[in-house]
Amino acid sequence: MHISEGFLSPSALAAGWAIAGAGVAWGLKKMDSDRIVRVSMASSVFFLASLINVKLGPSSTHLSLIGPIGLILGWTSFPAIFTALLLQAVLFQFGGLLVLGANTASMATPAVLAYLVFGAATRSRNLRLASVASFAAGFLAVMTSALLVGLWLALSDPDMMLTAKTIFAVHVPLAVVEGVTTLFMTMFLRRAFPDMLKGVDRL
Amino acid sequence: MRVKDRNLEITGQHRHSRGLFLSLCSVILVSVLLAFARPEAVSAHGVGYRRSAKKAIALEFYYSTGETMAYLDARVYSPQDEKNAFQSGRTDEFGRCSFIPTAEGEWRVVVRDEEGHRAEAKIPITSDFLNGGDGNALPAAAESSLPQGADLFIRSLLGVSLIFNIAVFVRLRKCI
Repeated sequence: MHISEGFLSPSALAAGWAIAGAGVAWGLKKMDSDRIVRVSMASSVFFLASLINVKLGPSSTHLSLIGPIGLILGWTSFPAIFTALLLQAVLFQFGGLLVLGANTASMATPAVLAYLVFGAATRSRNLRLASVASFAAGFLAVMTSALLVGLWLALSDPDMMLTAKTIFAVHVPLAVVEGVTTLFMTMFLRRAFPDMLKGVDRL
Repeated sequence: MRVKDRNLEITGQHRHSRGLFLSLCSVILVSVLLAFARPEAVSAHGVGYRRSAKKAIALEFYYSTGETMAYLDARVYSPQDEKNAFQSGRTDEFGRCSFIPTAEGEWRVVVRDEEGHRAEAKIPITSDFLNGGDGNALPAAAESSLPQGADLFIRSLLGVSLIFNIAVFVRLRKCI
């Protein structure tokens, strides 16, 4: 999911930083600072999730947990994911510092979208609707992220358009795993900590 | 007298055209010979191989998940030319790529896949290595990868700790 340094054109890097900058600023502005521990927890989980390998047939990949982060944090996903990605780049050499903006944009945007589109449905009293919405949030967050990664690559080099399609197809199994993970998480939080699914925005 | 002169004139013209004819023939002959000689010269180039006595650098590329970066675009850049690849090809099934350095300095090997992953290895080559010295003594800096074991644990802990510290910093700034 992380784009490495040296792939993106300067304009794509700049666009990535513009989206990430705006998202982080807006997320910090909307964040309820009394709930910052929750943000740190979610950011830490995202930071560590990249170390958990998932075997998917012949290949293996690592969890992203974009959907769950989005449902728990809402707009604050931007600063949380930005911080986690920054530390992943520095401590684990995942991605890079120049490309941090584009990586934040391609992972935090789907998280916020998952919250905006499916957030209300996951809190619904209708259990079936909540289940479907949770799975869809996890599944679609990964697919949207894959789409954005492909888009960044295609923007930088039109020859990589075919690659963009490949990336999209490759991420389907991970998206299913994340959909199921999000479903379990939502079902647990609905019973144990329903407040956690309301985002951390200031009311 | 006039008839004799005329005869001489005819003989001179005859000799002139004969010379022209001969030179034309020789030009055609040379051209034909050249035309046939060229392919012969090419096919005369033999090919062969021998085992190189030079020391090679062999690298393995892999993902953080442990998978090898197999059959991917691999380019080797010499210290003299940073832009044009000294060697280009693909990694093998096990993510391996090797090359024989020809000059001192920092060589770069870049392997990239089609999903936005790019691994870059920097290999400092010394004159000692080129002269067949202790080639196994490659600097540790040449190996850069995901930390393992205790190092990975400490880095993970440091990361989580930093996240909470940043949170405290943000919280304090918001209070002020």
